[in-house]
Amino acid sequence: MAERRTAVDFIWWGILIAFSITILFPIMWILYESLKTNREFFQDVWSLPEVWMWSNYVKAWDKFHVGSAALNTAYYVGLSLIISVSLTTMNAYALTRITFKGRKLIWGIIMLSLFLPGLTALIPQYVLMRELNLTNSLTGLIILDSFGESAFYLMLLGGFMQSLPKELEESGFMDGASLYRVFLQIIVPLALPGIVTVAIFKFLELYNNFLGPFIYLSDQSKYTMAVNMYHANSMMQYSADWVTLFAGVMITLAPSVVFYMLFQRSIMEGATLGAVKG
Amino acid sequence: MNDRIGVGIRQNTWLQAWAQRSQTQKYIFLLIAIVPAFGGYLLFTLYPNLVSVYYSLLNWDGISTPKFVGFENYINLLQDRYVWRALSHNAVLMIFVPALVILFSLLLAYLLTNKSYKGVGVLKVLFFFPNVLSSVVIALLWAFIYDGSFGLLNSLLRLVGIEIGDFYWIGNTDTALWAIIPPSVWGGVGLYVVIFSNAMITIPKSLYESAILEGANHMTRLFKITIPLIMPIIRVSVLFLTLGALKGFENVLVLTNGGPAGSTDVIGLYMFNLAFGKEFHNYGYASAIGMFLFVFLVIVKLVTDKLFANRSSEY
Repeated sequence: MAERRTAVDFIWWGILIAFSITILFPIMWILYESLKTNREFFQDVWSLPEVWMWSNYVKAWDKFHVGSAALNTAYYVGLSLIISVSLTTMNAYALTRITFKGRKLIWGIIMLSLFLPGLTALIPQYVLMRELNLTNSLTGLIILDSFGESAFYLMLLGGFMQSLPKELEESGFMDGASLYRVFLQIIVPLALPGIVTVAIFKFLELYNNFLGPFIYLSDQSKYTMAVNMYHANSMMQYSADWVTLFAGVMITLAPSVVFYMLFQRSIMEGATLGAVKG
Repeated sequence: MNDRIGVGIRQNTWLQAWAQRSQTQKYIFLLIAIVPAFGGYLLFTLYPNLVSVYYSLLNWDGISTPKFVGFENYINLLQDRYVWRALSHNAVLMIFVPALVILFSLLLAYLLTNKSYKGVGVLKVLFFFPNVLSSVVIALLWAFIYDGSFGLLNSLLRLVGIEIGDFYWIGNTDTALWAIIPPSVWGGVGLYVVIFSNAMITIPKSLYESAILEGANHMTRLFKITIPLIMPIIRVSVLFLTLGALKGFENVLVLTNGGPAGSTDVIGLYMFNLAFGKEFHNYGYASAIGMFLFVFLVIVKLVTDKLFANRSSEY
């Protein structure tokens, strides 16, 4: 049923546009200022730069040790992602498709995590990590963030695997294939869309993780991107080098933009799953 | 006859061997699949959560020998005016952040689904974008917006002729707490726009058509048809946002770290700084505050459930 466009319509349209600008403008503004000199920025934040200072990005890269932070992030995110997604996939398969003693108990204990306070656990967790000599270590952080159970991801992947027909596995076993083969060559390919969704969210979780690296990493040489930018900003109080800091923030933001552009559809679909389930 | 028995036995042993082999395979697979992940969960999640109850009964700075003090921490925290000050800040955030996020996202989602504008898909993608950013990036962006001398907000105000001097929005005790709200709304609305518009799409068009025939305008349709029908989802969203405003503190940590003069301190941050902050540490007291917060979270959940009782409508 088509409605006539009225003057009121333009107001509503205006609201949508205004909100889009609110989202985009701050980011665009930082990008714009990051291409000026400090002098130009201090004189007039609106003025066009005389020369577009792409060199600010080179300077930010060196000044904030972005190179090492990027390598640390790649190591931390990459390894944690591989370990945790493989473990979650195997776990989901084992807990939904293999019958064994104690399965219900394990499932129940994992679901308990939905009712834990969480925040208070940070302190004993830190004491534990200190005793295990895993503080101030990227490997320690990887161990902390990859070996564990996520009730949400397990439910998501488990649900996916339960929906696959049993005959597929059975015909695999009939042909004499081992359990590992059936898992790797039948289950994993079929559950791939679910696995990819989990991997996408795990990636965002890891790349954006601030609290973990903030608590556990104390050497600058071990900082990940997010925590590196936080400390860079704290140091700014002592030098009025704004444009370089802006460039640094844009560098930290860039991977998120690229990742979002690549997986935008899955991210938006997956993000709503959590809320609908409550 | 003998032959057949022979075949039977042979088959039997083959089956047994096969069953044995597959049994072994099963246990090895279970070992690899479950032990590392479940062990990690027991060690790094379950154990710390349980032991934090015990921590809350200690007087411990994390280094010296812990001293068992019973419920002293709990008695102290009830009399700690910093706890109540932090909770009052949480209360402000718990009222305004969910209200603004729900209001904006309902309006935007309604416009996106019920007005056949061009570019709806692009707008949704754009609105959602802040949700993939880390809390550090969002907080830093807003720190630049709020800066007194060169910030975007004051520059815009100057541009339209309002001169308020070098007013530092997050450096002033009167405005700092209020300045925490917009970044949370900015970062959160997109997710709920997507959630709400996905829900609104499922409402049959015929409902709106008959309402239009009876002369209902957009506001009436929004309040009489759309909102009642997606009420269960709104309820869950309110709960999410309220609990988030009660326990969240990362954005405050980056933006103000509770300052100036504690005017933006929230309960989670107070606890966090008692455990990991730059000043003195008290793991026992921090754990007690964490437990107290947990009880509060449960209460808020129950109250929210009551306030937004399950009054879903069906068509």
